[in-house]
Amino acid sequence: MNHRIRHRLILIQLLIAKMVILCVPVFAQNPSRTFLREVLPILEEKCIRCHGAERQESMIRLDTLSTNLMSDRSVAEDWHEVLQVIDAAEMPPEDEPPLSEEQYERLSGWVRQTLERYVEATAKQNGRVVHRRLNRVEYQNTMSDLLGLEMNYSMDLPPDSPSVDGFKNNGLALQMSALQMEYFIATARQALDRVIIAGPAPNQFEHEFKESNVKNWLGRVQRSNRLQRSQVFLGTMTKDYPEEGEFRIQVTFSSELRPNKGYPILEVSVGYRPDTEVLFRSVGTAEITSEQEQTLEFTGRLENYPLPVRGQGKYPGLVVRVRNLYDDGSPRPKGDKGVFPDEPELPVIHIQSLNFEAPVFEQWPPRLHRALMGTASDSELDERVRMSNVLSRFLPRAFRRPVTESEIKKFLDFFDSIREEFPTFEEAARETLTLALISPDFLYLVEPAGEEKRPVTSWELASRLSYFLWSTMPDEELSSKAADDSLIKKEVLAQQILRMISDERSIAFVDQFTRQWLNLDVVDRVSISKDYHPGFSNTLKQDMVGETQQFFARLLRENMSAIQLLDSDFTMMNEALAKHYGYEGVWGREFRPIQLKSDDQRGGLLGQASILLSNSTGSDSHAVRRAVWIRDRLLNDPPKPPPPDVPTLEEADPKFLDLTIREQLEVHRERVACSSCHKDIDPWGIALENFDAVGLWRSEVRRKKGKKFETLPVNSVDQLPDGSQLQGAEGLRRYLVQNQTEPFARSLVSRLLAYALGRQIDLSDQRMIDELTLNFRNNGLKLKDLIVQIAQSEAFHTK
Amino acid sequence: MARKSWHLSRRTFLKGSGGASLALPWMECMAGASTPAPPSPRRLCAMYWGFGIGLPKEDSEHANWRWFPEGEGRDYRFTDSLQPLECFRNDLTVLGGLSHPNGRKMGGHDTGDTFLTGAFLNNEFLHNTVSVDQVAAATVTDQTRFSSLVLSTDGGVGEPTRSSTLSYDAKGRPLPAMHQPKQIFDRFFGEGDADSIAKRRRLSSASKMLDRVLEDSKSLSRKLGKQDQDKFEEYLSSVRQIEQRVERSQSWLEIPRPNLLDEERDMLHLESDDQAPRLLMRTMYDLMYLAFRTDSTRVATYQITNMADASSNAGKFPQLEGFKSNLHGLAHGWNKPEGAVKLGEWDRFMAEQFGYFLMRLASAKEGDHSVLDNSLVLYGSSNSTTHNNQNYPLILAGGSNLGLQHGRYLKFGNDVPMSNLFVTMLNRFGKETKAFADSTGELTELTQV
Repeated sequence: MNHRIRHRLILIQLLIAKMVILCVPVFAQNPSRTFLREVLPILEEKCIRCHGAERQESMIRLDTLSTNLMSDRSVAEDWHEVLQVIDAAEMPPEDEPPLSEEQYERLSGWVRQTLERYVEATAKQNGRVVHRRLNRVEYQNTMSDLLGLEMNYSMDLPPDSPSVDGFKNNGLALQMSALQMEYFIATARQALDRVIIAGPAPNQFEHEFKESNVKNWLGRVQRSNRLQRSQVFLGTMTKDYPEEGEFRIQVTFSSELRPNKGYPILEVSVGYRPDTEVLFRSVGTAEITSEQEQTLEFTGRLENYPLPVRGQGKYPGLVVRVRNLYDDGSPRPKGDKGVFPDEPELPVIHIQSLNFEAPVFEQWPPRLHRALMGTASDSELDERVRMSNVLSRFLPRAFRRPVTESEIKKFLDFFDSIREEFPTFEEAARETLTLALISPDFLYLVEPAGEEKRPVTSWELASRLSYFLWSTMPDEELSSKAADDSLIKKEVLAQQILRMISDERSIAFVDQFTRQWLNLDVVDRVSISKDYHPGFSNTLKQDMVGETQQFFARLLRENMSAIQLLDSDFTMMNEALAKHYGYEGVWGREFRPIQLKSDDQRGGLLGQASILLSNSTGSDSHAVRRAVWIRDRLLNDPPKPPPPDVPTLEEADPKFLDLTIREQLEVHRERVACSSCHKDIDPWGIALENFDAVGLWRSEVRRKKGKKFETLPVNSVDQLPDGSQLQGAEGLRRYLVQNQTEPFARSLVSRLLAYALGRQIDLSDQRMIDELTLNFRNNGLKLKDLIVQIAQSEAFHTK
Repeated sequence: MARKSWHLSRRTFLKGSGGASLALPWMECMAGASTPAPPSPRRLCAMYWGFGIGLPKEDSEHANWRWFPEGEGRDYRFTDSLQPLECFRNDLTVLGGLSHPNGRKMGGHDTGDTFLTGAFLNNEFLHNTVSVDQVAAATVTDQTRFSSLVLSTDGGVGEPTRSSTLSYDAKGRPLPAMHQPKQIFDRFFGEGDADSIAKRRRLSSASKMLDRVLEDSKSLSRKLGKQDQDKFEEYLSSVRQIEQRVERSQSWLEIPRPNLLDEERDMLHLESDDQAPRLLMRTMYDLMYLAFRTDSTRVATYQITNMADASSNAGKFPQLEGFKSNLHGLAHGWNKPEGAVKLGEWDRFMAEQFGYFLMRLASAKEGDHSVLDNSLVLYGSSNSTTHNNQNYPLILAGGSNLGLQHGRYLKFGNDVPMSNLFVTMLNRFGKETKAFADSTGELTELTQV
């Protein structure tokens, strides 16, 4: 066990242990006499030269650091940091005289007591933001579930701010602004305009296409009923087609599969051709695994698709397009006058017919309208009674809790106050429901509370669970358990948590948590160099993220050990990714577990292209970035950011550029200013040097010099400050599994807890984290069990 | 020429309006009328990029890629980096040596947030203060349909020290930036609801809605813990702000959206996104230009790139324009032999886009002057070379009709805080100002010959 970690363990135990409390008024506004007399002199002698008025190494300044921890949470974090570095003997640095035993006892004793009191005082206090706004994803899912209408609700909302640890559901980091408010109103109105309809039923339009009917089309494609990658099937409707409402497209087809190739992928999209471009949006895709004739159905809302201006343009009409997206990556054949040769080795889709219907409704008014507004017989009622009925159904769902009569009355009053201005009942009703959709009760997870802690109610618990595991509002079953208050019963809760994890909707948790914890969105922000990786296709990035997410999902659903995130004997692949990694015989786009051989180098997150690519430059690996990622995301021990105005290296020396990355970093580390941090950063990344920018294994580094490439050997061996040798990726994995299980387990627990609670973890949570981590480790690091434990933990049940 | 949806809307618009005269607060045509011309609107805008510029040593072989000009005062020569701005020499001043004293105490990558505020941020204290553009906006907010236009490549507010906006309100809260050209266009120039009676109904009901929300929220707020209350204050103030905006919209409802010229619509590439940096920058500049030209707003900020590095959509801009490394990598190459040239070429690329913006502003006439002459245009970064928070590369352009004297490269010492520049800009904008942030006076050199 590395010494730093050991010391941290001791520290935590000490924090838990009851300490003899001295009469030190640590929370007074001014530093206590004890501090001034006993502690400050030590700081002045040993620390202030580098952490004082003149210099603030690592941005830490101790002579003015407040001793009033209650005034500012971050002060407590800083003192905690002080304790860590003196406990680990990281400070004073090697080349300075160390603290004497007595000085150490006095300084660490004071800090420890001060922190202990802080933890005790805050433990009783409610002071964390849990009152958090729905983020874009949660808003999108909640609106869809609440109204049942498919729409891009979050399109106009500004991107959400992540917290320091990368989470986008942190109440403190999530802002609210007038701009957002404006779009919340506009979005609610737009959605309600579509759901609440008025007037007689429109005509239902239907058209069947037997063959592709478009004459002029763009690009190097051929119109055909027989589809490979160079053909399309196009059905154009120039007259009579509707422009709003739900549509249904039925495609009847058969296919020809090919040995040792993937399955054909049928894609249906809707759009039009505005002259020199085509504008389409995909309705859906399906992988076709049988040759039999079959019919697939695709649905959507016309308003969500690009629609031409009726009767205008050179190529008028709304177009339904069908393609076969399967492409094995081989060079495309050249067409001759718009005709492309058959590619006998590629799978084929034969379109028999395509049927388009819109608007689709089984009766008028349609289902979504009835769900909100009640049945047609309701329209006989008095408007106010009608509105009251609508509100009694809608508000509890929108606010995720029961509502009182007086709350309903407030909305009815609003309805009354605007009714006269609007010509129809429906228009006034839309406005009234819009009011609900901009209320804090809808937009925020509201948990009223005073300064004291209190247990959450069943309804609050239902919302917490639902936004944790599904990123959306509670479903009917969960709500019913809240309604009869049985959710707070242990066995009911456990049964609900397990149900929610096995439910398909938990993919939202996997998606959101892995994206934010592992910073997967960066995959899209790294531009892959065409020089270094000429064949790289950007569509592969999606498959890379897919691997990591499917991997995590499997560990979760099968309750496997989370240690497999560090090293595993399997990973998830589909055809495209297997081809990239060099595995044979994996066909189709679905991910499946692939057993790894011992020397495959793909085990755990550190063998996955998503992680390797997102921490690269797009041309080459980036050892420092990868190292920082490991320490931050896996070990919860991020290095300090570089200090202001770091001295620059004499990189102008052309010889420097000829050095390998490892050697360049060594030169870097020779500088004292860089060394103190980089000696514990670089080795973590150096170990992964055998992986190039796109996550492929290499034994040579290619570097472009002028127009040519030169090669340098890979050196992936380095030494950590504790003396451990890391021999490449395999050595790093071994080291992590053997020496870092505890910090990793603790890190995963902390990050999951932060995500589950929607707030930053702080010192006062340490006890809880200790407990969860201990149980987690004793339970073989089983991932699903950990999620269940977190959802059952005290923090999750306390406001 | 591709026909895009916003082109089609022009036809509909022309059909609908039937050439009726438009009552805009300020219009080109009025200058020629017999009534005396109203004073031209004064504008202020600021552009920012992260990580600084190329600054190889003066005696090195790549000195021609130093961002700062050679020489001083009137007697200066643009290097290759700023060459594209040569034709605007008499419309701009290059400023050297300025920086925010607070910024000099902050992390090398942490100063983007304070470019327009001059505040001090560190781990323990992340509250920013009002930005200069918002001070200006507050004085003209009732004059235009929108009080300001806040743009960036990433949109939203980002996170403290790596924010994705340049603008902060009076309480120091970041204002979310818009980043989707189509959305910006629709907001500023779209027709909105064609039926203005329906629109009026909804504005009036929105106003009542907001009243009610505010009222109910006050009782909710009382039920919350202290910290939750503080956080919830954001919601309440958003509602208050938007109430004012709704009121303003009501008074603007009778005034049609500005009429764009055919060529103005044709030049727009609203489909552009962060995959095509050059096109995106030009589109953002076009939108700012149109917002100014039509007097839809008088204040704009645009964060072209920031220092969020890998987590920013702009990090890959150089690669998408054919450079070999990302923004951060490029900036770090400033003292490597090949790196200096590459970074210089990137600086030049940025200057070309900025020149495009100046060209647009200069070619729009306003009386005897141009929109540029009535606009204060700041262009700069909060690093000189990367990590270095001193000697910000800055250009102040336009405003010749507002008393600015141009054609010079002015050098200042560390004793002059950059906020002095803001004091002068605010005074030229028409907002009488004695002090801003840590200013010690005006930058009088800018208005003296």
